Amino acid sequence: MTAATTLPQFPWLSLLIGLPLAGALLCLLHRRSRQECRWLALATTLATLAICIGLFVACRHGDGPWLLREDAAWIPRFGIRYTLGLDGLSLLLTLLTAGLHVVAVLLAWPEQRRLPQFLALLLVLESGLMGVFLAVDLVLFYLFWEVMLLPMLFLIGIWGGENRRRAAVRFFLYTLAGSLAMLVAMIALYLLHGAQSGSYSFALADLLQTRLPLTQEYLLFGGFMLAFAIKAPLVPFHTWQPDALSEAPANGAVDVTGLLLKTGIYGMIRFAFPLFPNATRDALPLLAALALVGLFHAAWSAYRQDDVKRILAYSSISHLGLVLLGLAAWNTTAWQGSVLLMVTHGIVTGALFAVVAMLRSRTGTRNLNELGGLWGAAPQLSACFLFFALASLGLPGLANFAGEILVLLGTFRSQPLWALLALPGLVFTAAYLLRLVQGTLWGPAPAARAAIPDLTVREWLVLLPLIVLTVWLGLAPAPLLAPLAAVGGLP
Amino acid sequence: MLDSYLPIITLIVVALGFATGSIIFSRLVGQKKPSEVKLAPYECGMPPVGSARERFSVKFYIIAMLFIVFDIEVVFMYPWAVMFKRLGMFGFVEMGVFILILLVGYVYVWKKGALEWE
Amino acid sequence: MENLVQIALQNVNLAAIMPSLVLVCFGMGLLLINVFLPRGTTRPAVWISLVGIVVTAVVTVQGWGNPQYGFSDAVALDNFATFFNVTFLLAAALTILMSDDYLRREGYAVNEYYPLILFTTAGAMWMASGTDMMTIFLGLEVMSISLYVLAGFFRGQSASNEAGLKYFLLGAFSTGFLLYGMALIYGVTGSTRLTEIGAYLNSHSSLLANPMTLAGLVLLSIGFLFKLGAAPFHMWTPDVYQGAPTPVTAFMSAGPKAAAFAAFLRTLEYCFFGLKPEWSAMLWVLAVLTMTVGNVIAISQTNIKRMLAYSSISHAGYALVGLVAANEIGYSGVLFYMLAYTFMNIGAFAVLILVGKQGEENLTLEGFAGLGYKRPLLGVAMSVFLFALMGLPPTAGFAGKFYIFAGAVKAGYIWLAIIGVLNSAVSLYYYLRVMVYMYFRDPTEDYAWISLPVSVLATIILAVIGCLYLGILPNEVMAMAKTAIF
Repeated sequence: MTAATTLPQFPWLSLLIGLPLAGALLCLLHRRSRQECRWLALATTLATLAICIGLFVACRHGDGPWLLREDAAWIPRFGIRYTLGLDGLSLLLTLLTAGLHVVAVLLAWPEQRRLPQFLALLLVLESGLMGVFLAVDLVLFYLFWEVMLLPMLFLIGIWGGENRRRAAVRFFLYTLAGSLAMLVAMIALYLLHGAQSGSYSFALADLLQTRLPLTQEYLLFGGFMLAFAIKAPLVPFHTWQPDALSEAPANGAVDVTGLLLKTGIYGMIRFAFPLFPNATRDALPLLAALALVGLFHAAWSAYRQDDVKRILAYSSISHLGLVLLGLAAWNTTAWQGSVLLMVTHGIVTGALFAVVAMLRSRTGTRNLNELGGLWGAAPQLSACFLFFALASLGLPGLANFAGEILVLLGTFRSQPLWALLALPGLVFTAAYLLRLVQGTLWGPAPAARAAIPDLTVREWLVLLPLIVLTVWLGLAPAPLLAPLAAVGGLP
Repeated sequence: MLDSYLPIITLIVVALGFATGSIIFSRLVGQKKPSEVKLAPYECGMPPVGSARERFSVKFYIIAMLFIVFDIEVVFMYPWAVMFKRLGMFGFVEMGVFILILLVGYVYVWKKGALEWE
Repeated sequence: MENLVQIALQNVNLAAIMPSLVLVCFGMGLLLINVFLPRGTTRPAVWISLVGIVVTAVVTVQGWGNPQYGFSDAVALDNFATFFNVTFLLAAALTILMSDDYLRREGYAVNEYYPLILFTTAGAMWMASGTDMMTIFLGLEVMSISLYVLAGFFRGQSASNEAGLKYFLLGAFSTGFLLYGMALIYGVTGSTRLTEIGAYLNSHSSLLANPMTLAGLVLLSIGFLFKLGAAPFHMWTPDVYQGAPTPVTAFMSAGPKAAAFAAFLRTLEYCFFGLKPEWSAMLWVLAVLTMTVGNVIAISQTNIKRMLAYSSISHAGYALVGLVAANEIGYSGVLFYMLAYTFMNIGAFAVLILVGKQGEENLTLEGFAGLGYKRPLLGVAMSVFLFALMGLPPTAGFAGKFYIFAGAVKAGYIWLAIIGVLNSAVSLYYYLRVMVYMYFRDPTEDYAWISLPVSVLATIILAVIGCLYLGILPNEVMAMAKTAIF
């Protein structure tokens, strides 16, 4: 509540959700003029980003459990409230969301097909993501959790690649099936809590007080985790993800798709772990095992792919395995590393997807076998590609490094064996990323390829801030870690 | 409890016995001299010509239905007429409403031409 | 004898039957006016029936919080009845709005259609406010007979004929079950009054285990379940729904279905509260069966009208879950769900009417290819309805399912809720397929034949508003549903 002293009293959090939605509506209303739409969308995302940065600057040092909070009655019949809360964790993730959406809109600039609708969906997605990261009432959270699916469904299904229909439907069915399980668990938790305390409520703060027998806790934890594990994606539930990521439209949507994965991890940290502490404690080894399997399996799969986007998709799963390992290690260092890695991975992988999109629009292919010799043709593009690939690999001094090292250090402190097992995974990561870089940038260029133009000004505009961020966060990640100190639920 | 059903059962038994008894008895005792006229469905009246599965004009059905509808109304009016004095004004209004509803149907049927044969 | 008349007179309370009385008067007046209009003039009928519905709605909401009982407690216009009455009237109004142009297009611009809708609605209202088996039966018959005619309204089309005849024959059959059940219950308790039956069974608890009572309960349930289209009494649904004129299908699956729920709910709760564990267990099985059968068969349908027919079976299954729960949340959930379903279902059928082309030849999935691009408004509206049918937030479907499943979980039927949720997951697939065709396929047609008359547009807009309002701000209506149950 210290934030109130530095910030003018205003429903900032609702604004974060409402602004993109309003932008989406404006885009649809101005769909006759593509140029207007582009600027509208850009202005909206920039404004949202500005608010996020403002919030970051103003309240990152808050000391209460919530830096900002909004609360209003919504459906009193079921004790459902419109409650939004901002803490260090959601602050970072909203910041990431807002930033990546600016990038996405810039990348969507050359999109030809149904641009206004595309931008509108992008903005609706931003609104949904903001809601997911801010809601602290379970039903409200569920609402945004589902709302965010719909724009994604259309983005993949309409603008995606060749297999878009299959990918979109699969994505939708998988994630929705998971969230339905969460819904039942939510209702059950609500009723159990109500029976215990006499007051029925869906507010996270109230539900945290529930004390459950272990079996019930296991079941409910399972319900929540199914939703989050599918979204994250944890290994046995990950099969939708490579399809969705590789079919997602290259022009801007794909790096945002990466954000969906973060919602899964976020859901675990915000809801599943604190609500069911005992079940979590018992499930940690299993979680760690799945994380390790994911780390290796995805890295190996990435190595076997020829499609550049699929490689990046598997690399996301692999990285999230590491994030999850950090969570499972259950100590402060590892957790901070996990959150940090989540954010930096969002930036780096987003940038990589962007570079691949640029590559694709120039060469017309994503197949590793048909690429090659790019360094000679487009040195600036190639340099950027190499830079982000190295960042993704965890090169010291670049963004991912800090997070990875914190995760490994933290894990080593509590579970040395897990950390040792995870290390070869990083070697795998190096292997597939180097294969990717080698196959694209060096080697013989295909004979029949036309000349490739290098980066344009707009593209530099997209990539330059990301490069700066990557370097900055690699050298000085402390500003990101500061707001995490007061986050509730961390060990 | 079953005692009270005894008269009914008796009646059923007697009725069945009488029916089967007469059939069997007439078969045993009666003479059998069939002729074509005797075997015809109706011994008197019109000789049956053509197939019995003839198609009737749909108008017959409409008339039949209308007849039933209006016929049933009268069934309702009999007890009403018997009790008319005791029912008083209430009964009168009630029947008025009933007749009114009937009238709506009647006007409808009339205007729709269901009463015309052609 | 004098006494009887006095009693009869004392118990006359026209206020208790005023809504249906008004509606029936409008219906009869409409019949009379129609015959004096030239053939094919249907506009006045549309307007008059709409006015009739609005007047009836005004009359019926007078009963809210001001319950009226009459005719020796054979009729009750309580909150419960009023809530359902509003649902029926909404269904009727939306149906009438979208019917005129459709009937004209199909060449059946016949006036009798509108009075029949009004009579059906009046019958439904009798069922919802009936507190005596005879009143309920009367309402059921008035409603069903009008519906038989409506289902077979396109008398030149064999599919419609089949629908009408099938519905009539099976309907008459199920009515037999219902009556038989009523007779048995009357035989056991000596009364047809719901409250008296309940009180009698309660004070003679040995009768609860009497085979005659149980047989009566089962036969009554069969009668109602048939009207609900619950499995295994659902066999008529797909053929009738597909063959009947589309607005009639929309109406049938919303209004009369809700009426059957109303009467069933009241009968179970008033008469058989002593047998709650028994009928709850019976309905548990049937609810699971209904949801599953509807969803699984809907998956393989390529005709969207038929798909919606099967999906309507599964939605009856979801609503049955509320009956199984048999608690305050479950019951009020049924009320809320039927209202929500009215909006989403009628909305979806309204879109179907427009896209269907003359003779309804364009109801296959392929017929919807690229609709979202050529007809953005219809595409968006249909998406809202489909999302609502799937049960996604922020639509009415989510709020409704949430309500009902919350009731089931509260009553301890966690597995039932899980099966319900799994079924929702299955249903995603076939609803989503329509969206896939609408948006993820390139248009093969230019959909030039779709004209968007104001009345149908009004239906669609109202339905969209209903779906979103009940989804985003459901509190008002939820609170009403709560006060509406006994």
